[in-house]
Amino acid sequence: MIDAALWPYLLVILAGFLPTEVWRSVAVIFARRLDEDSEALIFVRGVATALLAAVVARLVLIPPGELEAVPLFVRVGAVVAGFLVYLGARRSVFLGILFGEIVIVAGAWYFG
Amino acid sequence: MPVGRKRLSSIRPVPESSPAPQPDSEPPATPSTWFWRGAFAGVTSVQGLVLFASMVGFGGLCRDIGFPLGAAMLSTLLVWALPAQVLVVGGYAAGSATAVIALAVGLSSIRMFPMTAAIMPYLRGRGAGLGTQLLAAHFVAVTAWIEGMRRLPAMAPEARVPFFFGIGTFLILSATFATLIGFLLAGMLPRSLAAGLLFLTPLSFLIQLAHNARDLVDRLSLAFGLLLAPFFAAYGGRLDLLWTGLAGGAAAWAVHRFLKKRKEKGGA
Repeated sequence: MIDAALWPYLLVILAGFLPTEVWRSVAVIFARRLDEDSEALIFVRGVATALLAAVVARLVLIPPGELEAVPLFVRVGAVVAGFLVYLGARRSVFLGILFGEIVIVAGAWYFG
Repeated sequence: MPVGRKRLSSIRPVPESSPAPQPDSEPPATPSTWFWRGAFAGVTSVQGLVLFASMVGFGGLCRDIGFPLGAAMLSTLLVWALPAQVLVVGGYAAGSATAVIALAVGLSSIRMFPMTAAIMPYLRGRGAGLGTQLLAAHFVAVTAWIEGMRRLPAMAPEARVPFFFGIGTFLILSATFATLIGFLLAGMLPRSLAAGLLFLTPLSFLIQLAHNARDLVDRLSLAFGLLLAPFFAAYGGRLDLLWTGLAGGAAAWAVHRFLKKRKEKGGA
């Protein structure tokens, strides 16, 4: 049996590194034949984006660690506020993130 | 152009001022100069700053979950994709089967495929063998990719590979360092700041995804993913992320097909 202390390292390699690196490597090999606008790639890109969006939603709705203590409406409010500032500030990623952070930290301080 | 002679005078690695993507107004440039310019571009990048803070948050998350420090840093070095790293650590915390985590990671990292494919044309000129290309591809993740796609096309072909290695190496090492910092600080920070760091991951992902969205499919799948996620989280069992991705992506693609067909019919 594998030593329990080594398990997280093995998990990183087996479940994290290999399934990620395989896509990078395959992309290198097939880059020459790839058509960026082929329908299959558009579909795959859509699935990947929706999946990342699900990661976002999950982290906001079912949060880990310290975030659990912050009420749901503050978490959702912080994401919405950050996104609106991003749009309003001529699509400034920095300002959007900064504002969302201010809301969540203030909320965590007030309710914590 | 007097390239070779310049070499002696340009030993100093980091240029004092590197006005962003203006290449060869003065042709200096040994590969090592470009490497250091790439590293410097990493230092001054806003995306890089967010990445650093996000990785501090990731380090804190690992501490909270009980994931060991060494494995957390290893995951930044080797996986080098924050969503995948969060999936691994989250799966570890939830006690998911390894195959299930690997499947979820593999699906979320499909994203690396079109990203890598899009940037490789800039990274395979001039003596970059397959090994070099595979190594360069390892640096592909949202941050390095955004900076690379912005800067590489304007650069001289021989500068691109060393520049990308420079920025990639800097980002990956600083992110690994950030993971360490986050892990060590997790216990000491005020609770509100710790919550703020953890929150950086979903917040910056959302805004960067929206920022990178190129077309209708990107925007729709982002919106569908956000809307469907609560439903599948409640009823989708352990594969909820996967179902959300497939359903949201398929719906976005279907809308795209429908509009395209209608346009073709209207045009004919």
